[in-house]
Amino acid sequence: MTTVTIITQGRRKRRPFGSQGIGTAAPYIIPALLLYGWFLLYPMLDSIRLSFYEWSGFRTETPIWVGLDNYRRLFTEDAVFPTALLNSVVWVVLSLILPTVIALLMALGLNQKIIGRNVMRAIFYIPAVFASITVAAMWRWIYNPTLGFVNQLLEAVGLGDWTQSWLGDPRFALGSIFVANIWQAVGFSMVLFLAGLQTVPEELMEAAKLDGANAWQRFRAVTIPALRPTTVVVIILTIINSLKVFDLVVGMTGGGPAQSTQVLALWSYTQSFTNHQFGMGGAVATVLLVVTLAIVIPYMAWSLKGEDK
Amino acid sequence: MTAIASSPQLATHTRKRPVDWTGVALWIALAVTALLWFLPLFLMFMTSVKSKADLNSSAMWALPGSWEWSNYATALDVGNFWITAGNSLLIAAIKVPLGLAIAAACAFALARIRFRGARSLMLIIAIGSMVPIQIGLGPLFNTMLNLDLLDSRFGLILPYLAFGIPYQIFVLYGFFRGIPHELEESARIDGSGTFRIFWQIILPLAKPALAALFVLDFVATWNEYAMATTLLRSQDNWTVPLAVQGFSTQHGTDYGPLNAFIFMSAIPVLIVYLLFQRYFVQGALAGAVKG
Repeated sequence: MTTVTIITQGRRKRRPFGSQGIGTAAPYIIPALLLYGWFLLYPMLDSIRLSFYEWSGFRTETPIWVGLDNYRRLFTEDAVFPTALLNSVVWVVLSLILPTVIALLMALGLNQKIIGRNVMRAIFYIPAVFASITVAAMWRWIYNPTLGFVNQLLEAVGLGDWTQSWLGDPRFALGSIFVANIWQAVGFSMVLFLAGLQTVPEELMEAAKLDGANAWQRFRAVTIPALRPTTVVVIILTIINSLKVFDLVVGMTGGGPAQSTQVLALWSYTQSFTNHQFGMGGAVATVLLVVTLAIVIPYMAWSLKGEDK
Repeated sequence: MTAIASSPQLATHTRKRPVDWTGVALWIALAVTALLWFLPLFLMFMTSVKSKADLNSSAMWALPGSWEWSNYATALDVGNFWITAGNSLLIAAIKVPLGLAIAAACAFALARIRFRGARSLMLIIAIGSMVPIQIGLGPLFNTMLNLDLLDSRFGLILPYLAFGIPYQIFVLYGFFRGIPHELEESARIDGSGTFRIFWQIILPLAKPALAALFVLDFVATWNEYAMATTLLRSQDNWTVPLAVQGFSTQHGTDYGPLNAFIFMSAIPVLIVYLLFQRYFVQGALAGAVKG
């Protein structure tokens, strides 16, 4: 470790590049920082600021400082917020299990030399290219109570009693949206896993085989360790995309019926733009931000660690 | 690659046992899953070629009584396809290359020019790549209002850039770090300036990562809904994802043309995928995975 550092430093001194500093870097980073600061960082921070005010969002009105009152209302009075928080958490947990495992299984299967594998890869990936809002429209039709595929199929096979108003019943609505999500989300994770599988060392696999390891032992001892970095990426992207979930819910139920499918991202939006309570919207957004950072910062620490080799 | 390596041993398997039952079971499981995944696409296509009367009377999976190709013409009309697709294309054509250039420049400076605070800057940007946009949507609306850029296609490009570049910087940073310093040193000795090193040495080496990011960013931009629906108002400025709502009226949703529209809306994305698919997989992981 120490040796490495010394060598780098020695090299650093030799390199004229090393000493150029901020003056050289400025023209390269300023455009990015301006955009980032103005249109991403500032709105985020402003959401936190607004969460301490009561404001309808209209320019003619001045925000009124209310301190922590929005948060008090959020946790004690807002009947929808607990649902939204719970749904977001459930969505993240389910996303980590179902689509991720399905994607891994698909990738493992399609990594073999089998007939039709390119066609299958394409089929699994195609849903990922559609806009979520169009996927939502499509699945709303599939779930249509009278003309939709699901209920028609149930009728056709004699399970007419099982037909439901899939998106209109609070018991089924979130699950029904989630099925559409699985259909769409699996492809991208599968591609990442497939790429990760290319890094499994072939020699190690051969050696394990010669040592008489069976398929399951080879999978546990060789494939899983080699897939670890990919898995971390898939997991973190899945968590982030789950916290962002918005388009699918907007397009399929709009948060209903009776707000049963609300999620944090949509509830923040609804509070700000539909209910004209930018303060409450900001408070929901701040909760979402805290949840996100609690997940992202440990990952970042891991990812940037040991970068200075 | 793996396929080539595993084929000889697959052959010995076959010699030992005439039928590889595990392999057959695996194939059947995959094929059934593939059929399941294909089913919604098939239903969508069937819907897109049926008349309203047909949709009301026949099963969703049944072939249409008469092939209603006119749904596609209706979809172009109702979805305002040429205008919305034109808007989406205009935004993507400016946003994607410009964003990549800005991100690449920033990642280059952070990864290859030593200056104080580079690491903390990288950390702040990396965190920004992961927070949901909805957190800042309310204030963003006000920012755009104050800049008089609400309901403007060109205005929309600014937040699109801001939300696109952090992830790209994050990926390219990892990629640029991996390029050996010797290359750049010899160029320095030959008298190349910083910009030349960036433009002629570092960027060409990052082509696979840039291509993968290009695909991902094009798709993300083309499909973006939350910001567009918040910041765009008039129908003439709508992008493709916003046009979907045009198919629902108080009389209900016109599912035939709607599904036709959804199909057509994915065509540009599919074209971009086909053009860049060679780079896509290798590049997608290039910066994201260590090593």
